[in-house]
Amino acid sequence: MSEPREPHDAPSGPAIGQDEWVARHGDNRSARAGALGTIEARLRTVPWWGWLILLVAAFALLPIVSPSGYVRRVAFDTTVYMLLALGLNIVVGWGGLLDLGYVAFYGVGAYAYALLDSKLFGIHLPSIVSIPLIVLIGALAGFLVGLPSRRLVGDYLAIVTLFFLQIFLTVTTNGDEILGKNITNGANGILNVDPLNFLGHDLTVEHAGVFAVSYLYVGVAIFAIVYVALHFVNVSRTGRAWRSLREDPLAAETMGMPVSMLKLMAFSFGAGVAALTGTLFASLNASTFPLTFSFPLLITIYTMVILGGQGSQFGVAIGAILISVLLELLRDPSNARVLFYAFAVLAVIAALGRSRALGAVLAGTLAFGFAAHAIAGAIQHDWVAGTTEGGLASTVSSWVIVPTTLGDWLGPVAYISLIGIGLTLTLIRGPLRYILLVPTLYLAAFVWENVLLVQPEPTRYIVLGAMLIALMVVRPNGIFGERRVEII
Amino acid sequence: MDTFVQVTLNGLTAGSTYALIALGYTLIYGVLKLLNFAHGDVFMVGSFIGFGTLQALGGTSDPVVPVWLLLILMVLAGMAGCAILGVAIERFAYRPLRDAPRIAPLISALGVSFFLANSMQLMFGADQRNYGTFALGNGELFTKGFSIGNVHVPLIRIITIVAAFALMVVLWFLVTRTRTGKAMRAVSFDREAAAMMGIDIDRVIVFTFVLGSALAGAGGVMFALRVPTAASIGFVIGLKGFTAAVIGGIGSIPGAVAGGMILGFAESFTTGYITTRWSDLAIFTVLITFMLFRPNGLLGRAGVSKV
Amino acid sequence: MGEKLLELRGVSLAFGGLKCVSELDLHVNQGEIVSVIGPNGAGKTTLFNLITGIYQPDAGEITLDGRSLLGLQPHQINQRGIARTFQTLRLFLNMSVRENVMAAAYGHSKAGVVRSMLRTPGMRREEAEIRKLAEEQLSFFGERLKGYRWDQPAYSLSYANRRRLEIARAMATRPRILLLDEPAAGMNPVETHEIAELIGRLRSEGGYTILVIEHDMHVVEGISDRVVALDHGIKIVEGTFEQVATDPRVIEAYLGTSSAVTK
Repeated sequence: MSEPREPHDAPSGPAIGQDEWVARHGDNRSARAGALGTIEARLRTVPWWGWLILLVAAFALLPIVSPSGYVRRVAFDTTVYMLLALGLNIVVGWGGLLDLGYVAFYGVGAYAYALLDSKLFGIHLPSIVSIPLIVLIGALAGFLVGLPSRRLVGDYLAIVTLFFLQIFLTVTTNGDEILGKNITNGANGILNVDPLNFLGHDLTVEHAGVFAVSYLYVGVAIFAIVYVALHFVNVSRTGRAWRSLREDPLAAETMGMPVSMLKLMAFSFGAGVAALTGTLFASLNASTFPLTFSFPLLITIYTMVILGGQGSQFGVAIGAILISVLLELLRDPSNARVLFYAFAVLAVIAALGRSRALGAVLAGTLAFGFAAHAIAGAIQHDWVAGTTEGGLASTVSSWVIVPTTLGDWLGPVAYISLIGIGLTLTLIRGPLRYILLVPTLYLAAFVWENVLLVQPEPTRYIVLGAMLIALMVVRPNGIFGERRVEII
Repeated sequence: MDTFVQVTLNGLTAGSTYALIALGYTLIYGVLKLLNFAHGDVFMVGSFIGFGTLQALGGTSDPVVPVWLLLILMVLAGMAGCAILGVAIERFAYRPLRDAPRIAPLISALGVSFFLANSMQLMFGADQRNYGTFALGNGELFTKGFSIGNVHVPLIRIITIVAAFALMVVLWFLVTRTRTGKAMRAVSFDREAAAMMGIDIDRVIVFTFVLGSALAGAGGVMFALRVPTAASIGFVIGLKGFTAAVIGGIGSIPGAVAGGMILGFAESFTTGYITTRWSDLAIFTVLITFMLFRPNGLLGRAGVSKV
Repeated sequence: MGEKLLELRGVSLAFGGLKCVSELDLHVNQGEIVSVIGPNGAGKTTLFNLITGIYQPDAGEITLDGRSLLGLQPHQINQRGIARTFQTLRLFLNMSVRENVMAAAYGHSKAGVVRSMLRTPGMRREEAEIRKLAEEQLSFFGERLKGYRWDQPAYSLSYANRRRLEIARAMATRPRILLLDEPAAGMNPVETHEIAELIGRLRSEGGYTILVIEHDMHVVEGISDRVVALDHGIKIVEGTFEQVATDPRVIEAYLGTSSAVTK
């Protein structure tokens, strides 16, 4: 639509050794045509603080738009996730290090706050003192954990940090008897933790039974401060050095950057942010328990960072919002069902495009379902007499076979077959793929209604695990990631 | 004295399990330079396959085959099932990432581990599954055996320890004597050079996953003969196997066995003489000590990086 | 020519019994351009790795301006005044061209993390200086790396420009001596000619002392004050280009013993 622009100072005429395609590289990049391309180009010019203001404004307006305490609570939890994602982004996105003990530092922060501001030891430090102290404690813990694997080569760092997570869980769980003293109250957790307090005023968690906005606003304010501070670090010499060592540690070292020290710094910065977030978490819930800080949370945060795009602060914040909302929606069967069928239809559209096959596959799946349902019902009424709950239940149960009882083996067999066939489909090309897609989609619906929907807890985590694998394989730089070329 | 014998026996039993898992880590690390975090969960799946085989063959109360054959079939089923699982994991989660930066397959491996653990929980619940081996043949697996001092060594332990070492010997034979085994060692030494010498890298990698996962499957079944299993055991047991491999020198086969034994003894001696609560801390201390003073592990080679 | 700036005395290095460099003596005087030549596997890049501290020698001494470099980390050696480029190109590909060069100013800038977070006036001043320094270094290459390319990611550059960017990055560490590892490798004749010219300008305008590994004999002839020939980690000849190029031992090293005999 627009004429190709001349590069700003194009050398006159082609010359030998002149890399013409590079000269036009900037024009080649925004190759997407039409309105979408224009929007994309416009969005690129939005400054970094523009995005931050957008995020903060959205969260600040949320309680005004919706008076629901539930919405506020979810928004607060999302803020916590966003902070955690920002911290992990320092280590993974900028430092390129694999920190598998990250949630343990979050736990260190929460437990440190619980010890410094609760009835357990009768210490009640003002937040203005305890918060900075805890950030330092977290950063120091990160430093000490990173230290033994001096070279901090990926694999060794991974094992030391992962084991550190395990040790953190062991210590907190068995901490009701460390040398005869009760330090962490063990698996029962520390209760009666103080809320945050500023200038002698406690921050209220609930107001007349509804989640108060104060915590949400404090959380968003901390998020904004951390976001800005980290952005400034990223564009300083330290941030450049972090990204350099992610790209090529050896080259960074020979260009005068003390790589080991910088890695430890990135590591303890991440730990510090995690610990800060821990104080927010512990003070809101007025309690801490060991199992909050375990493997599932680690995977959740990694999925957020990878989905949003490692390296981009705005990206990981968006990743945190998307995953947080997704996990929340999956809690409720009717929301989860809508989400599933919408995703299935969109995935088929994305895979087949606007072709004749698309209509055929969708219509075929519908027909296949009614036929299968009718046949199964005719043979044995129990096979289709099962009850489903939640929205759309009646519509769906006249299409998907839902038996009254699955028996011990039908669920596992269907689930394993679905995964097997689904993975095989990615390898098949040609018309067979479309033909197989129909029963596969129906099988997916069957598994969804009978196996996945009835067990929300493992289902949410299965979704996260599958997302993480699929993202790494299909789009490792996520939605907004800055890494495009990978070094071998 | 009796405590010492008992603790040593416990160490040997746990050590042989850790060694079997560590071997899988070390083999796969050797050819792919990838820490396969999902390996502990493959072990867990193996223990469930053993359970399923046991149920299919009539359960402990009324097995349709003799006890010795039952045990062999369970182990074989675990090995075969895990081998298939391992190959599938490699094909779909790791192969597309072979040329990506090293952190990418590691993250993918985390996803696989999480996916497997939760899929098993979805299908079979979060409850513990007990093989109930005591009921087999009127408890002969436990009552038979021999005694050292006052310590009774039950048959089941002798079987699992001997079988684990037998598998290690078979592995050693496969890796040092067969063509594919030699190709495997060539690939772990220098992948590009091996490819140029006409070695089919994909085949070697698949073979490695078959071997490593089968060992994990066997280990899983033998572990669950003594201890109840659950969908969530993969994480901790994988972590320990993985630690054993690092302590022994990742990439080294004898190192993995040695590392597994060190870990088994560290754990059993802490449990036996100090307290059960802090045995993980003892292992962590061993790991940190190695990281500080011998980062390449007991039998690992110091890597020379080519610049 | 001036004083000895960089000096190696009796440096040896072996990997598992395989001697890569043995008993090597080498020096580079202040303001000199010295070329290292030799067949593949002669130990040229190993020599660079020894000087920059990536490898530690088994024996011998390496000094810069009379001060020993042994036992120092690579980044400390860089901060003493030695910068290098890599034969295999090791740019920070996902960072912009300008950032690649700015990153190299780490060693001689000071602003800490807290000052960066607060963006203190001192920090902003330093940042502006680094930016100016980077742009100066990039401008050294004239039209080639100019203007609109500075904000592009480094991976979008052509092969020849990546080599130029590596030199600019090395210059931004403010070295006294530049080690260039095959700067003309993979370039076409025009670009090769440009590189030879550039190396001359690096000394005359930039004031750098230069140690260069090069295969292209025209480049070596055009730039070198002195040429050192290595084979199997041993220095076989040293002298002017004519002396080295005509030495039978060099010809033998390149062509192999048998062909030297048959000729």
